Amino acid sequence: MTSIVVDHVTVDFPIYGASHQSLRHALLSRTGGLIRREGERRNQRVIVRALDDVAFTLNNGDRIGLVGHNGAGKSTLLRVLAGVYTPNSGTVRVDGKISPLLNAAPGLDLDDSGYENIKTCGMFLGMSGDEVARKLPGIAEFSELGEYLDLPIRTYSSGMLTRLCFAIATAIDPDILLLDEGIAAGDARFASRAEGRMHALIERTRILVLASHSEALIRTMCNRGVLLEKGRVVALGPIDDVFAEYQRRNAEAASQAG
Amino acid sequence: MATEATPVKTRRRWKLFSLEPQYGAAWNDLVGGLYEWRIWGRLGWQEIKRRYRRTALGPFWATASLGMFIGGMVFIWAPLFRTNVASYLPFLGAGLVVWSLVNSLICEGCTVYANGGNVITQMNFPYSILNYVAVWRNIIVFFHNVLIVVAINIALSIKVTIYTLLVVPGLFLVAVNCAWMTVVLGIVGARYRDIPPLVGNIMQVMMFVTPVFWAAGQLPPEAQPFLKLNFLLHLIEVLRAPMLGERPMLISYAVTLLAAVGGWAFAFVFFAHFRRRIAYWL
Repeated sequence: MTSIVVDHVTVDFPIYGASHQSLRHALLSRTGGLIRREGERRNQRVIVRALDDVAFTLNNGDRIGLVGHNGAGKSTLLRVLAGVYTPNSGTVRVDGKISPLLNAAPGLDLDDSGYENIKTCGMFLGMSGDEVARKLPGIAEFSELGEYLDLPIRTYSSGMLTRLCFAIATAIDPDILLLDEGIAAGDARFASRAEGRMHALIERTRILVLASHSEALIRTMCNRGVLLEKGRVVALGPIDDVFAEYQRRNAEAASQAG
Repeated sequence: MATEATPVKTRRRWKLFSLEPQYGAAWNDLVGGLYEWRIWGRLGWQEIKRRYRRTALGPFWATASLGMFIGGMVFIWAPLFRTNVASYLPFLGAGLVVWSLVNSLICEGCTVYANGGNVITQMNFPYSILNYVAVWRNIIVFFHNVLIVVAINIALSIKVTIYTLLVVPGLFLVAVNCAWMTVVLGIVGARYRDIPPLVGNIMQVMMFVTPVFWAAGQLPPEAQPFLKLNFLLHLIEVLRAPMLGERPMLISYAVTLLAAVGGWAFAFVFFAHFRRRIAYWL
């Protein structure tokens, strides 16, 4: 049984190297998590509360879209689910094999060739050497990079790099897939092929968590949504309800500002 | 599975570590990472291969530079110490080759996690893989540099003795000791960015304070006990002496063995306390 149980999770980021001047600006800003200063006058530390008492449960078949403004905590939440950040308080319990596709494929090295990177990243993502070897032709074919795969990837355009990362990352068979939006890109033809592969991958995946600013992307891929605002979950439920709430809040904020 | 949510306390407290240790996670990381030898073995090789690309000598550039340094220094230091080049050169060569292994492991140790940020902030994996990569890669570089010692030993017909075999346990002791130091320094270096340059400076001084250019026996007897307080002396000794076909001091084995056990115990506890904070510092 694949599941994720997030229980009263709070994540605080200590910010090092923030001067008190820049702090003053930070306190006045309106986006992002709650920023506070702690401690007596000396030893003051700047702390950003990126997630505040977040709790929800995901089960088999849940395809969750994370919705919210920049800095609302979407990427932090994905990283907490991926086990990158251990919450300051609360617990995350995950049953199932997780595959995180956040910025790029992990372990990528610009001076290595495409083939070498497929092997390194594949191993980082938990494939055995044999498994990588078995899947290599499929990955190579899907990336459509042809002979470029023999060249160091620093010679690739950013679109080509995305193709490579996407091809590697979607070759694994995870129970739980965590996606940050950057991963889906490339030219139009690749995008449609990527979409096909992505849908096939999502079919195989038990739980999907996708963070994106694109309402269209989330609506095509997700059945439920989580709306985050300043690190708090303000709405959780069917995707239509969550977007309705998001728009209502946006309109409210706009009328207050205007 | 609900645990009581305890708000994080950021006030300074009279307690060495304010975090609850996670011994299980630390064990899984440090020991589990060792089992991932396919990954760290590959990453270490890849980094060496990268150095070979587009250069004729690759990692041998480091060997060449070390060789030239030794070749230059020996003609100044041998007369300064009133010894002849033939007897001083093997000592200096072996000493500097071993020193450069220890030195680069300690200096690189400070940045293992800071430079691994690309992976650490992407996924949950045994961070210790990064430590093992650093150790493994530096051992490969050591095997490049060791050619200097081989060349000197052949040229000056230094005898291969039964003690030469002690190179194997010597290298093992150096690797095991440096490995725990990269864990501790890696954590401190990820949090405090002053550590890498600070350690670099200290190591530069240590190169002259530790008997690398000069032999311990050259100091007066009353200085000997103080000399033995230097951990790096013993770490160098267990590998340098066998390379010269000599038996290392027994105290050096005692010290390095004890340090390996004690150091790893400390590194384990330290890692258990701070592992989960590393991602926050990057």
